[in-house]
Amino acid sequence: MIPEFDTPPPAPPAGPPSAPITLRFTGSGSEYFRIWIVNLALTFITFGIYSAWAKVRRLQYFYRNTRLAGSGFDYHGKPTAILKGRVIAFGLLFAYQATAGLNSIAGLVVAVAIAAVLPWLLVRSLAFRMMNSSWRGLRFRFDGSVSGGYAVFLGWPLAAVLTLGLLAPAAHRALKAYQHGNAGFGTAPFAFSATTRQFYGVWLRASLLFGVVPIAAFLLFAVVAADSDAMEQGLPDLGSSGALAAMFVIALGVYGATLAAMPYFTTRIQNLVWNHTTLGPHRFESRLKFRRMLWIAASNFGLTIVTLGLFRPFAMVRMARYRAESMTLVPGESLDHFLGIQAREVEALGEEMSEFLDIDIAL
Amino acid sequence: MSGGPGLACDYFDGRTTARRAATLRVEDDHAIVAGEGVARREPLSRVRVSERMGSAPRLVSFADGAFCEVHDHAALDALLAATGYREPAVARVQSRWSLVAVALALCVALVAAAYLYALPWAAAQVAGHIPASAVTSLSRQTLEAMDRHVLSPSALPADRRETLARRFDRMAAPGGTAVPHAIAFRASRAMGANAFALPDGTIVVTDALVALAGDDDEILAVLAHELGHVERRHGLRLALQSSVVGLAVSWFLGDISSLVAAIPAALLEARYSRDLEREADDFAARWLRFNALSPALLASMLEKLEAAHAKGGDAGPGKSDYLASHPATTERIRTLRSPSAGTD
Repeated sequence: MIPEFDTPPPAPPAGPPSAPITLRFTGSGSEYFRIWIVNLALTFITFGIYSAWAKVRRLQYFYRNTRLAGSGFDYHGKPTAILKGRVIAFGLLFAYQATAGLNSIAGLVVAVAIAAVLPWLLVRSLAFRMMNSSWRGLRFRFDGSVSGGYAVFLGWPLAAVLTLGLLAPAAHRALKAYQHGNAGFGTAPFAFSATTRQFYGVWLRASLLFGVVPIAAFLLFAVVAADSDAMEQGLPDLGSSGALAAMFVIALGVYGATLAAMPYFTTRIQNLVWNHTTLGPHRFESRLKFRRMLWIAASNFGLTIVTLGLFRPFAMVRMARYRAESMTLVPGESLDHFLGIQAREVEALGEEMSEFLDIDIAL
Repeated sequence: MSGGPGLACDYFDGRTTARRAATLRVEDDHAIVAGEGVARREPLSRVRVSERMGSAPRLVSFADGAFCEVHDHAALDALLAATGYREPAVARVQSRWSLVAVALALCVALVAAAYLYALPWAAAQVAGHIPASAVTSLSRQTLEAMDRHVLSPSALPADRRETLARRFDRMAAPGGTAVPHAIAFRASRAMGANAFALPDGTIVVTDALVALAGDDDEILAVLAHELGHVERRHGLRLALQSSVVGLAVSWFLGDISSLVAAIPAALLEARYSRDLEREADDFAARWLRFNALSPALLASMLEKLEAAHAKGGDAGPGKSDYLASHPATTERIRTLRSPSAGTD
């Protein structure tokens, strides 16, 4: 007894912090192109049924090629659970479309019913996604409560709509806090500390940059349009072609601003969210740069259009690589502690129950 | 397979994140993992190997969640071949460029078939099953919205409007069954000389179009063309097709806002509206001939609309396909002037 008591448990000592580890992405466009095109062909042939299997292959490719400290992540979701989720999602959508077309009251009843079950389905999907993700054989997990799910998927969005978007940033923070604050990896819990104020900051800057520019352009457009109305009364052609050119430039500006809005928002939100997420004593650093994101998004978009879509898998790989390689794990203690994280004991009943409830409705 | 050193892998026990360097080999139908603190021997029937996915590491996993991560693809392929393992069909297709090319050709053919045939067919089927009450309320809402923003009351004298409407009502339908319709006269600075049909049979005609026409028969020709849109349910079909194309394009382009995806979608939709214009022309030609009028009336009206359009200001029933409008209009005019126009 006593000797055993004397020897310390095999838990790793909390030594000095180790060096930060950056995620690496090892996938390539030409490899993923082959997976993608075969997925697409099989999905078409099976009228969409294969899309569930396609999703598993896609996620496995991206997970296994995302590497932390030399080891890949893995995805374990069963295609049948994903298919079940898709059948449910399309069933709900169809029910709404069919009834809303017939009668607006029946449509409203179905819409309310969908709103009532959707949060629960989304909570199940989050849990499904996390439970089926692993690194070095250890699963992630998600313990968010159903009531919390109703708050972030129903309560907050409603509040955001009723306040004409004023509460949207707060709703966004609530969602991220729910997602990140209820997740775990093995025995280690994730925690989330970004504040509502910080979310308002990102939203405000995004809307100033990309809301004001299109509005200004639109006003300019209106002035030019009013002007060209006057020109119709018989001014020379040169005037109206000048007006046309001006309108074209303005339209291009609106288009460009819209194209830039998404990368800006993604960049700032991913950085904010991950820079305020911790896993036990460890934290993360996300260093996405807006210019780089904009360049990747814009060139991806252009090349995807020019190649009639064939560049899409290359685009996805480029984006995944940049996003992964901008992410760093900063160990708060020695890395041994991080590596000492153990699998959590799961009660048999819980596992069976979750098997039954395996649903993934996210596309 | 004989003993040998086996192939290098990382072993994980599925309980902790500890990585152990180990070797994997196959002996007497058993997989054997050996390394520092690892010694496993499992029957092959209880071992799973992940399918090959490009150069991503492959996982040889055991029933209890433990697994080996293997990076040496060639060595693993040799090991698997010796056990008689065969890659799943999908993985084999993904690894051969010739089969990938077949998949690509299949995708192109299926997308083209869906876009050219399946989608228009399905939209026509669905459009035929949308309840009349929904069609009416949709049309009424559209007209109300346009009245608020781009249309204003017609300045034509009431008896002029009535004469035109009555003449059109009196025309006989070639098939014997009349298409329910109502003519709404409006003025519009923004739309210029124009006419368009709403799905419930409301045909909006602008004062500028009435003024542009050489005589009333030409106006009747335009009304017949619009009635063709109503009879074939073009408005609903186009709306359904456009929303499916729009959804597909924005899904395909992925993380880009839908507004940005709208432009490529609009280009794809333009083709549909061109086909629908031809159908409506054909309907009008038969209608006119049945009522002892010439289909060329519509042709001369199209020319006038195009000329008005070229002078500035948007006009003409074919206004939606701006980019393809001119050659298409020329072709439509030629078809309407041909002796066979409006005959079956």
